[in-house]
Amino acid sequence: MSWLMPDCKESHRLAAEGLDRELTRTERMRLRIHLAMCASCTNFTRQVNLLRAAIRSFPGPDQR
Amino acid sequence: MVNTTTEANAPPNADFIRELTAMRPKLLSFARLQLRDSHAAEDAVQEALLAAMEQAHRFEGRSSLRTWVTTILRNRIIDHFRRGRREVQLDDEDGAEDLASFDGLFTEKGRFRERPGDWANDPEATLSERQFFEVLEACVTKLPAQTGRVFLMREWLELSTDEICHELGISSSNCWVILYRARMRLRECLELNWFGARR
Repeated sequence: MSWLMPDCKESHRLAAEGLDRELTRTERMRLRIHLAMCASCTNFTRQVNLLRAAIRSFPGPDQR
Repeated sequence: MVNTTTEANAPPNADFIRELTAMRPKLLSFARLQLRDSHAAEDAVQEALLAAMEQAHRFEGRSSLRTWVTTILRNRIIDHFRRGRREVQLDDEDGAEDLASFDGLFTEKGRFRERPGDWANDPEATLSERQFFEVLEACVTKLPAQTGRVFLMREWLELSTDEICHELGISSSNCWVILYRARMRLRECLELNWFGARR
């Protein structure tokens, strides 16, 4: 794809890899540009972030 | 909040012990998911609860008791991994593979075939629902054993992928595939059983 605007597939890969390694500055910028214009990838990125936040706050709110 | 004792050597009060005991089943189910070994899980939970009782005077009520004990348990489990490093069998379906499944999500032009659901109007609200965590736990339980374990090491114990590879003796590309697959499955499971049903 274009050097400036990665496609969903590449953005998806970057979003997933970004959870386990630090992305380079260029990768971050490419991802950010794509997310600004793509609702699908924005939703996906939010999903994996929420998943992470949820596991980290397990077992959840107090049962009171 | 429970009124804990302030003296280091005084025994914790009855309410404190009662609350701790009530948490045991939940802690145990999580330790089992993580360790995949009920003896080790029993031990880890036992140790965590004893440590919590011993250190009751240090519990300041700033976080909830559950969060505090969970943190202690998490550290016990990390210790357990560090003590006995074992070779681990990968689940059959956990083996490395090309990411063909990855391609299935996208059109030839590299666009999503199906838009992922919108989950995060209000993440705080989701994370304050107890039922959500029950669904999440059920989804994690459904993961293949090794997948669930690697995923929880990464997300719950917050180990780096390097540490996980090292502890479990798996390659980093394997580790990455396992994590990716775990996330995709959990995403699907939560969409099906929680978010989709609430849209």
